[in-house]
Amino acid sequence: MSLKAIALGLLATSALVGGAVAQDEQIKIGVSIPAATHGFMGGLNWHAQEAEKRLEAAHPNIDLIIVTADGPDDQASDLEDLVSVQQINALVVLPFESEPLTEPVRAVKEAGAFITVVDRGLTDPSIQDIYVSGNNTEMGVNSAEYIKSRLTEGDNIVILRGIPTVLDTERFDAFMGAIEGSGINVLDDEFANWNRDDGFEVMQDFLSRFPDIDAVWAQDDDITLGVVEAIKQAGRESEMFVVGGAGMKEIIKGVMDGDALVPVDVLYSPAQIATAMDVTVAHYTSNGPVTGTYILGAPLITQENAEDFYFPDSPF
Amino acid sequence: MSVSTHEAAKPAKGLRIDFKTLGPLLALILLVILGYSLNPLFLGEGNITNILTRSAFIGIIAVGATFVITAGGIDLSVGSMAAFIAGVMIIVMNWAVDAMGASLWTVLFGIGCSLILGVGAGFINGFLTTKAKIEAFIVTLGTMGIYRSLVTYFADGGTLSLANGARDIYRPVYYDSFLRIPYPVWVFIFVAIIGWVLMNRTAFGRYCMAIGSNEHVARYSAIKVDRVKTATYILQGLCVSLATIIYVPRLGSASAATGVLWELEAIAAVIIGGTMLKGGFGRVGGTVIGALILTAIGNILNLTEIISNYLNGAVQGVIIVAAVYLQRGSLRAGRKKAAE
Amino acid sequence: MSDAQGSAEAAVLSAHRISKSFGEIPVLFSIDFDIKPGEVHAIIGENGAGKSTLIKILSGIESPTSGTIHYDGKAVTLPPNGEAEAMGIVLIHQELNLAEHLTVADSIFLGRELKKYGFLDLAEMRRRSAAVLDTLHVHVDPDARINELSVADKQMVEIAKAISRDARVLIMDEPTAVLSVGETETLFEQIRRLTARGVAVIFISHKLDEIMDLADRVTVLRDGQLIATVPTEAMTPDSIAQMMVGRELSNLYPPKHEPDVDAPIVLSVRGLQAPGVKDISFDLRRGEILGFAGLIGSGRTAVAEAVAGLNHKTAGEVSMNGKPANFSDVAKSVAAGLAYMTKDRKGRGLLLNMGLQPNLTLLTLKKHLKGGFLDQNSEAQALERAVRRFDIRARDASVRVGQLSGGNQQKLMLGKTMESEPDIIIMDEPTRGIDVGTKQQIYHIIAALAAEGKSIILISSEMQEVIGLSHRVLVMREGRLAGKLEGAEIVEAEIMRYAAGIKQGGDDERINA
Repeated sequence: MSLKAIALGLLATSALVGGAVAQDEQIKIGVSIPAATHGFMGGLNWHAQEAEKRLEAAHPNIDLIIVTADGPDDQASDLEDLVSVQQINALVVLPFESEPLTEPVRAVKEAGAFITVVDRGLTDPSIQDIYVSGNNTEMGVNSAEYIKSRLTEGDNIVILRGIPTVLDTERFDAFMGAIEGSGINVLDDEFANWNRDDGFEVMQDFLSRFPDIDAVWAQDDDITLGVVEAIKQAGRESEMFVVGGAGMKEIIKGVMDGDALVPVDVLYSPAQIATAMDVTVAHYTSNGPVTGTYILGAPLITQENAEDFYFPDSPF
Repeated sequence: MSVSTHEAAKPAKGLRIDFKTLGPLLALILLVILGYSLNPLFLGEGNITNILTRSAFIGIIAVGATFVITAGGIDLSVGSMAAFIAGVMIIVMNWAVDAMGASLWTVLFGIGCSLILGVGAGFINGFLTTKAKIEAFIVTLGTMGIYRSLVTYFADGGTLSLANGARDIYRPVYYDSFLRIPYPVWVFIFVAIIGWVLMNRTAFGRYCMAIGSNEHVARYSAIKVDRVKTATYILQGLCVSLATIIYVPRLGSASAATGVLWELEAIAAVIIGGTMLKGGFGRVGGTVIGALILTAIGNILNLTEIISNYLNGAVQGVIIVAAVYLQRGSLRAGRKKAAE
Repeated sequence: MSDAQGSAEAAVLSAHRISKSFGEIPVLFSIDFDIKPGEVHAIIGENGAGKSTLIKILSGIESPTSGTIHYDGKAVTLPPNGEAEAMGIVLIHQELNLAEHLTVADSIFLGRELKKYGFLDLAEMRRRSAAVLDTLHVHVDPDARINELSVADKQMVEIAKAISRDARVLIMDEPTAVLSVGETETLFEQIRRLTARGVAVIFISHKLDEIMDLADRVTVLRDGQLIATVPTEAMTPDSIAQMMVGRELSNLYPPKHEPDVDAPIVLSVRGLQAPGVKDISFDLRRGEILGFAGLIGSGRTAVAEAVAGLNHKTAGEVSMNGKPANFSDVAKSVAAGLAYMTKDRKGRGLLLNMGLQPNLTLLTLKKHLKGGFLDQNSEAQALERAVRRFDIRARDASVRVGQLSGGNQQKLMLGKTMESEPDIIIMDEPTRGIDVGTKQQIYHIIAALAAEGKSIILISSEMQEVIGLSHRVLVMREGRLAGKLEGAEIVEAEIMRYAAGIKQGGDDERINA
């Protein structure tokens, strides 16, 4: 009886001590991202999980906590939980939408956390310590430059857009700015919601509407897959090419293999979350503080360099 | 006042059918005229084929939904169910390709799985609503979430893609035609005809209407209410599985984004077609027209530039409401005529 | 009971040369009608005579096609949608218009809730409700939910609601149709109390004895025409009935055939227990009409539903022709030749939003299948037969059953039940809320069925009906058999004694009928 009690007491004490010791050294980093509802976010989730495994293995005192949200409200609640329940030291956040999440992130900051913002900037940049982002403008411009290099004056293109958001508008405006003056006609643009089925249907309708299309800017690889099927169904593969975006493994594989219909891709990598997690951890593990803005490139992926961007294990 | 019932039976019945069918049909005809005037290509053979093929998914699911709604139920899980069945089909076919190589049997195996899953999922919905006595809205809201996250889980948040070998064998099911009509449209036509016969020419259809209009009366009339209601959900599951069978070869993939909001589109098609949301009155023919109307709206918006892309949703909303108004309006006209 | 009949006294509400057409179908022709304060004025007529339309016009729900309405001597146009309530004209519908899930106090103040600082003043509404119920001597808790109340209490709530609105004219559409004798008496006391306070009451009923008892004047309508308005003293039930139908109404009940005491027992119930039923045993013979009398809620319907497989029985044995007949659902009892015709024709019996044909064949749809498909010709023939056999009258075949008069609905339901060709028919309140002409038809049909060798259990709250038709009568009280009457014993007073618990059935042998 008494032996048992002593044993239990010892266990409890050691656990307490152990906990206290760990807490002294442990750095808790919360990672708040949207749930995997479509291809790109799926890839982002995968990269976040891979980075978590890698970073936690490399740094035993780093504890990464990934939470996924279904919407801005949900994400705001997630942030509150990270502060109150998990008591995080730092936050890596990819905001669902910029405006609604600015104040919730500010609250986390005020609770004393180090803030890294990914992809979609907050309306008040002074909140963040680090900003990591893909480059929507460069993505639009690089896509336009490639299309200009392949086409000449009087050629026709169609555009499939994503979902009406700031991000989509940035890409679209940059693309239109770059294509202007080239003499290439933009026949029409429609939203395809970053969705394969919508990409398929919108492209079917473009195909029945326009007898002469020379290139398609699909600006997203999910849309691209739908577009490709529609073009194949119409038997018009030889007539045009498609430029997507993001860096989905199926598309990269095609580019590597020299697919004429989708000859290139433009990177807007879901791996940016891993980059953000890396630099945030670096803030605690390197010699000095790490802050600043990291804009990742949106390079053109061609047959020559495609191998560098190919992650066969990623779901995206 | 006291006209014998039989004498007036024939002409009155004819009138009623005419007017109730005419509403949605009229809306569709107006829409076709609108589409043609905005872009003559609307009536091109290729575009017509596209519209019909696209309507097939929602249409087939909506035929099933017509029975569920007529019997006073609702099934919100169909979109997620389609994604789930598509995901499992792809997984089992990929597994079969790995194990035995790609052959026709691979595809038949996948189709078999789809049918079993559809019937099973429908049975679960039906069982929970009838035996566990939970409202259909809640049951199917629950299964909707379950199927959606299962497919996300299976796909690791990404996309499940069908192995190339199987893809090549399966592809013609969506893309090939018989008598210049694509296979999905044939499937749609058969499902619609079978649905119409079931609804209008069998005891089952009559029982659905009776249950939907008053469950007590149905029970007092010796109808096995629970069994008939469960059967409507199974039928719905079967329709979802058929729709999935023709959907998978289109893109050869399934993801968390597959079938999002299909449940609402299917319900909308049913209501536009003249079936009452509160049950008791079902029209399979109307549902087919409803599905065509929904697809045609999206198609017309893609074929024209005069409406800002940002307003697509608004245009859809207006047309849907207008279509239902036409149908209700002509219903009134029909009743007045019948009274004269 | 009231001295308000002096023609010198001004009418509170009157209608002059009121006509009404629906589309091109005229339903009322130039009706004159008036009611004075403190008077009870009954409106009577066969189904379809135009009674409901007339009271709808008097309460503003429908507007007349021509004619004028005077209120307090001034010509008025009554506002639609029941807004006339604010003027003091309140219509209480036959299917009481109460929201089932609200409380009594909520219901009484529905649409004119009392507020304090913009919020509902629940305490005050409860207090005033209690006060109104008190003045009516109604013992109902203001916090009780409507769906917990009996039909009679719901009606009292409706009346309380009307009183709390200072109703000056109270219009009641068949208020006693669903009430037992005792409850009817309470209602009449209530009405007398109101008239004493000067409230004018317009009252529709099919029950002539009630009208004789309560009304000061009677207005008889037939086919939309005003036949007469006469003081009640000058009338007998027979003369009113004649005016209603326009023909001699002799022998309301067909002559009783002597029951054959040697006829085989077709249905035998032993020790039946079910919710609301405590240990019931009885036998039914071939060709017999067995009456079930008792107050509302005495368990008669529960017995019928347990026997027909609509409710689970907790104990007891039922046998038909000597074979066990413990049905677990309706399909089985129908297949075995036992049919139950519900008393709730609108909620349980008929699909109101559908036509005649699907309603008629719903119970027996399998008979109309040909190769698995419905044979609509066969269904149409069935309807044709039923229309002829049961004299079902509809404007045209496309009419929805909900638009039929109560009598025609009842005849259609009878047709539906008989489609299953049952040997045993349990009829629950087969003449509730229908006119005397149709009642007579149904009585003759019941007697004819029995003469053909069908066996009938007749559940009815109308004592005269049970007495007029039954060979034997069982009286139920609080879920038990209280008494059994045969031959000359079947009289109203005797039934009442058993039903009210004044007299208990003798030895058990007598009760186990």
